[in-house]
Amino acid sequence: MKLFRSGVFVVAAFAAFALSATVGHAATPKDQLVIGTSLAQVLSLDPQQATEAKALEVMANLYDRLVATDANGRDKIIPQLAEKWEIDEKGITFKLRDATFASGNPVTAKDVVYSLTRLLKLDQSAAANFKRIGYTGDNIETLARAIDDKTFRIDLTNAVAADFLMYRLAMVVASVVDSVEVQKHVVNNDFGNAWLRTNSAGSGPFTLNRWTPNEIVILEANPKYVTGKPQLRRVVMRHVPESQVERLMLERGDIDIANALTASDLNAFKDKSGFVIQRVPTLGFYVLAMNASNQHLSSPLVREAIAYGIDYAGIERTILGPYGKTRTVPVPETLSEAIPSPDWKFDVEKAKALLAEAGYPNGFNLTLKTISQTPRVDMATAIQASLAQIGIKVTIQQGNGSDIIAAHRARDFDLLIPQTGAYMPNALGSMEQFSSNPDNSREANNAGNFVWRSAWDIPELTKLTDKASVETDPAKRSEIFKQMQNLFVELKPAVLPMFERFEPIVLNAKVKGYLGHPSLITRLEGVTKASE
Amino acid sequence: MKELTFSELGKRILQLLVSLFILLCVTFVIGRLLPTDPVGAIVGELADPAAYKAMRARLGLDLPVYQQFWIYLQGLMQGDLGQAILTGNTVASDLAQAFPATLELATLAILISTLVGVPLGLAAALFRDTLVDQIARFIALFGHSVPIFWFGIVGLVIFYAGLAWVGGPGRVDVYYEGIVPSVTGMMLIDSLIAGEVEVFWNALSHIILPACILAYAAMAYITRMTRSFTLEQLSQDYVIAARAKGVSPAGTVIGHVLPNIGVQLITVLAISYGNLLEGAVVTEVVFSWPGIGQYMTNALMIGDMNAILAATIIVGIIFMILNFLADVAYAVLDPRTREAT
Repeated sequence: MKLFRSGVFVVAAFAAFALSATVGHAATPKDQLVIGTSLAQVLSLDPQQATEAKALEVMANLYDRLVATDANGRDKIIPQLAEKWEIDEKGITFKLRDATFASGNPVTAKDVVYSLTRLLKLDQSAAANFKRIGYTGDNIETLARAIDDKTFRIDLTNAVAADFLMYRLAMVVASVVDSVEVQKHVVNNDFGNAWLRTNSAGSGPFTLNRWTPNEIVILEANPKYVTGKPQLRRVVMRHVPESQVERLMLERGDIDIANALTASDLNAFKDKSGFVIQRVPTLGFYVLAMNASNQHLSSPLVREAIAYGIDYAGIERTILGPYGKTRTVPVPETLSEAIPSPDWKFDVEKAKALLAEAGYPNGFNLTLKTISQTPRVDMATAIQASLAQIGIKVTIQQGNGSDIIAAHRARDFDLLIPQTGAYMPNALGSMEQFSSNPDNSREANNAGNFVWRSAWDIPELTKLTDKASVETDPAKRSEIFKQMQNLFVELKPAVLPMFERFEPIVLNAKVKGYLGHPSLITRLEGVTKASE
Repeated sequence: MKELTFSELGKRILQLLVSLFILLCVTFVIGRLLPTDPVGAIVGELADPAAYKAMRARLGLDLPVYQQFWIYLQGLMQGDLGQAILTGNTVASDLAQAFPATLELATLAILISTLVGVPLGLAAALFRDTLVDQIARFIALFGHSVPIFWFGIVGLVIFYAGLAWVGGPGRVDVYYEGIVPSVTGMMLIDSLIAGEVEVFWNALSHIILPACILAYAAMAYITRMTRSFTLEQLSQDYVIAARAKGVSPAGTVIGHVLPNIGVQLITVLAISYGNLLEGAVVTEVVFSWPGIGQYMTNALMIGDMNAILAATIIVGIIFMILNFLADVAYAVLDPRTREAT
């Protein structure tokens, strides 16, 4: 009897527990947006340092820039901290609106100067796009200055046209930080970097409440935001590294947005009511990098044979799905200057003939390095299979992000699958990474340059890229863009774009006003959640 | 307890330190052989060589390996575990945050696996070759051979997504995040300290599934061992004598067998506990559990040497301490080992 009684107790306790657990498990509150994602690569939330996509997504909402690019319009520049601006031959003058930082300090032109100086003096990856057009830690203080509290002026260098500079000023790296607040936390001339990595000092719609690496990022609404407090009280980004788990959480209503799903988990939401899929174009590409310092790959004929040796259509259909679309010129088809893709498609006979012509009728062996991550691993396997048919035997080496990138930087590979993104929503923004390599020598050690890493020497194309960067006449510019693409195809690229890259996200239909930004810097101040 | 003299204790501690040192050396060398690039992870893909070089020098990675190791050891002597690249915090503060999460999970798991595994093993031995025994053996075998990863996903599909009995991944629901101040770092205890009963129930609903799944693998081992220890005892004369005196089977097991296998069981439990603390890695990834396993996985991904070494030391120390305690338990509880020394 005693045994029976204790049994009853256990069952009752479990039932009570299960019940309480269920009750405590309603959908996410109406004033909180919960995003399921992978935070594994987020190492810093300092806008002048971090460049990883998920970090950008967070910082885009903590800080404002002078201007922004519209998530909707292809290449429209819209005001943010600057209410208006004037472009003259020598530079751009911005008039700032009356905004305040979350600390209560007013946003002044001095803060803008400080932020850009900070970017170039910290001198990390984030500075690359400004350095390429001639802004450096040494000259920035003479080129960027505060005319008065609310007027900021930046002079052009001779390497950039004004509108191309505007796009760079819209990037997260050009975020305006609260110089008064940041300077309180400077240690060893680090520009407050150690502090700003884990704290926020911005004027954006949200402030950083907490960031615990690999666990959670919590943003709180900024009551001092210039257009008023956002409707969402909190935005939570939760680290959910497993795609299947993320899918379950989205189905259960524990998260509102999932942005790290694999193609198969994504498909589960295709026709499911209550959910919406957005396929955000990044204007970037999945690329096959071929090391031109390899004796086989230095031959344009071999590179063309490989371009004919990949089953693009098959990979797009069975592996990429919503993640990509076949495109072998590094300018997305949707942009007005885009030329059609060349005739490169899977053609065993043609590829074999080209290899024979290059002097390799019996083929040869290569290794292919890739980050072990969907969809790149599957892509590597498919490329291995199709290249085998034309006589090239490929061995795949998988690794994590940092070791594959290290091999890429060190030119230590035969074939490798990197990906690109575009920081400007125009042809140059997507193409620049494929068309510029100022010094191909090994001594130049220009590991930050995408083309240099493949040892692909392209002086003419580099010259055209520089020419396009300073051209202000739209008609002439468009002409140069077309010329660049044609030359790119003609040279049989060692950095072969294969697929245009998309970032699919799934949203609970209750989320309103969320529009995925092509540069993955979606702003959340206008997002709301409908009631049940 | 007189056998465990101070000199004996000193010898054991010295052994412990030597083992730790060897563990450190091996981890350091393996870490350096890995082709990971922490510098690239910090400065970003597009940084130019000057910035890259400057960061490399700042991290001390331009020095020869033996010198790096020496600097690390010097810091370690002063209790400095270095800075983590992954988070920018000191490794010590990172571990102070991650470890309680793992400890909480593993402790609950060992409790569950003991409370279920020991009785199940006893029953299986007592009813040897009956249906009870076969069921127990099947459960144990199944738990031993199915990967935790698969269990985790299936568990989530059934109990979280399907039946909605338990909370999802993470330690609490989003709207409870940040309510409870961290005192011990263990959510169940902290919420009770703060008097937040609702958060406690929510945290419990989140931990119960990963703990049960983690417990299952350990339980399988505990059940098997308990069964075989018990069987060994059941053929002993004292058991036969007890049975002859009319003690019931259950009475024999609880009153006579259990105390006799207690010492062996403690060793098994200590080993299991160590394994749980270390083996929580996969469970933590599946359940987005921010513990030491997930911390270590991410550190490995970018080659964050300070974080990897510190986590290795912690896991190593725990293993050694648990082994040590199991030995002490032997010495204290088992008169036979006492006589032998």
